[in-house]
Amino acid sequence: MPVNLEVPDWGLILPQFIIFLTTIVVSLLDAFLPKSKQYSVLTVVSLLGYGLGLVTLLGQAGENRSTFHGLFLADGLTVFLSLIILVAAILTVLTSASYVQHLEGRMPIGEFYTLLSFATLGALITSAAGDMVILYVGIELSSLATYILTAFAKRRTTALEGALKYFLLGLFASAILLYGMAWIYGSTGSTNLEEIATSLGGLVSGEDNLEASLLLGLLLVIVGLGFKIAAVPFHFWTPDAYDGAPTPVTGYMSVIPKAAAFAAIIRLIIQGLEPLSDEWATLLAVLALITMVFGNIVAVAQRNVKRMLAYSSIAHTGYMLAGFAAYRVAEGFGDGSEAADLGVASVLYYLLAYSFMNIGAFAIVSWIQHRGRGMELEDFNGLGASHPLPAAAMTVFLISLMGIPPTIGFYAKYYVIVALIDANLLWLALAIVVMSAVSAFFYLRVVAVMYFEEGRETDRPFSTPLLNAGIALMVVGVFVLGLFSGNIIDLAGDWSDALTIVATARP
Amino acid sequence: MESFPILSIITYMPALGALAILFAARGSNTLPRQIALVTSLVSFVLSVIVVVAFEHNAEFQFTEHAVWLEDLGVSYLLGVDGISVLLVALTTLLSVIAIIWSWGTIATRNAEYYIALLILETGMLGVFMALDLFIFYIFWEVVLIPMALLIGIWGSSNRIYAAIKFFLYTLFGSLLMLVGIIATYQAYYLETGIRTLNVLELQEGVALGAYTSTFQFWVFAAFFIAFAVKVPMFPFHTWLPDAHVEAPTAASVILASVMLKMGGYGLLRFNLPLYPDGSEDWAPIVIALSIIGIIYGALVALVQPDMKKLIAYSSVSHMGFVTLGIFIMNLQGMEGAMMVMLAHGFNTGGLFLIVGVIYERAHTRQISAFGGLASRMPRWAFYFTLFMFASIGLPGLSGFVGEFLVALGTWEYNPGAALITFSVVIFSAWYMMWMFQRVVFGRASGQAPDPGDSALTPAEQEEIRRMGGHDTGVEHGTYDTNEHGGLQTQPVSGGDHHAVVRHEPDGSSYPTHEDQMDSSRWADLTTKETLTLLPLAILTVVFGVYPKPLFDIFEPSFQAILEGAVRVIGN
Repeated sequence: MPVNLEVPDWGLILPQFIIFLTTIVVSLLDAFLPKSKQYSVLTVVSLLGYGLGLVTLLGQAGENRSTFHGLFLADGLTVFLSLIILVAAILTVLTSASYVQHLEGRMPIGEFYTLLSFATLGALITSAAGDMVILYVGIELSSLATYILTAFAKRRTTALEGALKYFLLGLFASAILLYGMAWIYGSTGSTNLEEIATSLGGLVSGEDNLEASLLLGLLLVIVGLGFKIAAVPFHFWTPDAYDGAPTPVTGYMSVIPKAAAFAAIIRLIIQGLEPLSDEWATLLAVLALITMVFGNIVAVAQRNVKRMLAYSSIAHTGYMLAGFAAYRVAEGFGDGSEAADLGVASVLYYLLAYSFMNIGAFAIVSWIQHRGRGMELEDFNGLGASHPLPAAAMTVFLISLMGIPPTIGFYAKYYVIVALIDANLLWLALAIVVMSAVSAFFYLRVVAVMYFEEGRETDRPFSTPLLNAGIALMVVGVFVLGLFSGNIIDLAGDWSDALTIVATARP
Repeated sequence: MESFPILSIITYMPALGALAILFAARGSNTLPRQIALVTSLVSFVLSVIVVVAFEHNAEFQFTEHAVWLEDLGVSYLLGVDGISVLLVALTTLLSVIAIIWSWGTIATRNAEYYIALLILETGMLGVFMALDLFIFYIFWEVVLIPMALLIGIWGSSNRIYAAIKFFLYTLFGSLLMLVGIIATYQAYYLETGIRTLNVLELQEGVALGAYTSTFQFWVFAAFFIAFAVKVPMFPFHTWLPDAHVEAPTAASVILASVMLKMGGYGLLRFNLPLYPDGSEDWAPIVIALSIIGIIYGALVALVQPDMKKLIAYSSVSHMGFVTLGIFIMNLQGMEGAMMVMLAHGFNTGGLFLIVGVIYERAHTRQISAFGGLASRMPRWAFYFTLFMFASIGLPGLSGFVGEFLVALGTWEYNPGAALITFSVVIFSAWYMMWMFQRVVFGRASGQAPDPGDSALTPAEQEEIRRMGGHDTGVEHGTYDTNEHGGLQTQPVSGGDHHAVVRHEPDGSSYPTHEDQMDSSRWADLTTKETLTLLPLAILTVVFGVYPKPLFDIFEPSFQAILEGAVRVIGN
């Protein structure tokens, strides 16, 4: 690459930079503020930081440029993914503040917010990465912070066990991912995603069989990222890590690191390795199928609501992977661009929907934990009678996770299924449908015990204004974001900015 | 009519009521039901206006249209034709009746109960009005949750099982339909390049050849299973008896009178017009299943010891006439099916209310626990007689018109099938009149079954055997339901609520229940109960004697369906 001495466009990384500053400010305030003020001040600072990040991000909408010599991209994909990540971060702050402050022996809130902010920053960097190196840095930053967050309730042995599993397996996955990147670099001679796509386009065209080194690289990358998104059969860390982490962190873990890994899949596999789409699309379709089948079937057997949600989040990973699988085949129809749009756009929309309904469901779990209940199915007994509003909110989230209208989960599933049928993958669409019916069984069980069983006598009175506000926000989101799904899917469709490079590079 | 969205107002009025209850009346005891009654009455009055103003042609009227998700071709499109306008009116009427019935009988969680009932009404109304498959699907699913909650929270002993079974059955069916919807949308798009979910536009795809025969075969099946579960058709019916038995009376009425019609309506609105080839391929199978359902429902109804279960199985039988009438594909059959749907709405709704009346008083639904109620509750017995005869299909009452037309149509299709089917009508007279005889006349309530009675059910014979008949001397027992719904004898403990039986070796039984029970328990119909029964009774008589106004409304729509005509949006 010729040395280019132009001044990088700092404006394009403003959102990431603001989150970085937030991290610094939070950690400094943590050190110098008196303990009594930390809770309120740090919560406000975090919320302001993420909010400001959102505002600057919206200013970037419609951009399609790169800076730092192609290391950072500011395109439709960056905007949409960062939007999801920041919104999820805000929701996490709202739902976790009181949990961290009051439950499990008062965890240090300053460190919590710092780590949360680092993890968010890592995810943001991944979604804006234009280069394999930046991609890897982003994923690792997000992962490392999340490992610590998992072990945050350090008084519980399950927390340490889960975190250790997550850490060790995560390290393996990172190493495998890095190894795969090395093979790709070896085959194409560049770490820049744009150049990889260009050189692959040349390599693939006219060749009947691919070089083994490329396939190996692709396979290793998929395995590495498969660990990060907890696709079956790379999911073994998930239940223990989700179970061990403090409940709001579990909600967070199920969304933001996953969003980062999905960003990496879009950037690295769909954008960078686009010319190999025949190969990876089939692979992702099979992964999607076994992931959703396994996640749902194992979730049926769970009596612990948190573990049930952990397994069900594996199933939702499967639904999202199915959207990726819809990418390739669409090109067979001739006007591939639009259909290809829908496959990935549906995944992005799903991710947004998923962050609302899943963080919401975990928020209700921590809501009842505040009142001295546990996380077993029995702990939800009679919630509908004793606390009608949280029970109604939980019902809304679970209905949405089932994919029943008029909630956002339905629209998300609808878009994925449309993309699949568009791509002639009827079998995968049918699998989603059948699995949704299976999932209804275990989600419904929670609704059933909340409304149909006799409740326990007394709950510890506890006031959680911030958590309540967060839950209310998510309930509204679950209904309203579905109504405006048309506009949102349009915005998600801008992800194809990432492909414009490839389109010009194609032979 | 574009200017005044009367259909939307009818649809969302109950939902508004639900919101009002949620935010304003949760703590109150009486406010929720007042809000519910007012909002559902408004919907009812408006729907009557729509029926009166409806022009008698095949066009869709009172349509409302707004683009919603442009990329997907989803638009907010409501409209009614001659079929749906009547079902809309049926829905609003029965919702009002259900709310009046619930007046004061709901002991727990008042506000939530009425919220569920109102959201249910909105969902059902939307199903009958939606002309866009996406909107239709949303309303279709909205119905699920409140109904499951109504059964699961306010139902009787085995309610949780029934609620979950109901939910999973219907959900599975409708998810298959979702794939069918998207497949149709995609096929139409590939043919024309237009993305739409408008039913009327999709129907043009039939003439354009957008849907191949194989495609129609499978997509028909996807839609059919969803609707067949709802109808419910044999062999998809097993959720129905459980749901009916466990549901509270008002929910049973809504379920039988309106929700089952959603299945028949779906077949008429979507399966026939969109997939004519598929319909032709599947028709013999559907007809066979319908006939099996008619026979099976009637035979199983015959041996039910539980009144609600008996009526539930009779619904399976009656709804078999609906699917039969639809798929023999001639005008008599379809119009007959429509009349059966409406009549079933009046009659079975009425019968569930009739059972509800005595359930309120005795807290059991076992046929054997009652007897001789005619002398005690004459007005109640009158309504029972009326609805029973209407349900059997006595000429001059509404049940007759539909079944007679289906019979005519089936004869035209295949005289053999007609003969088999309508010889079964005997059974429907049998199980109904037998239940009627045992409950209304028969021996007085509380008396032990007479071993010499040849018309005993196996359950009763078993009971006599367990009680040792007349020979074991003194025997005490109460009639009660155990949690499996079967019969049980229990030792008497003093002043029990239940009828106490005392046998003497000489065969006489005493004391009579006048001594034993508070006579006010067997009081005749209250004003509230009469208010719920009277409208249905009037409708079943009026449209049994003179059904022409109904035919005037729906006949053009059926002619259009039979001709495969693409209908337009009128006024």
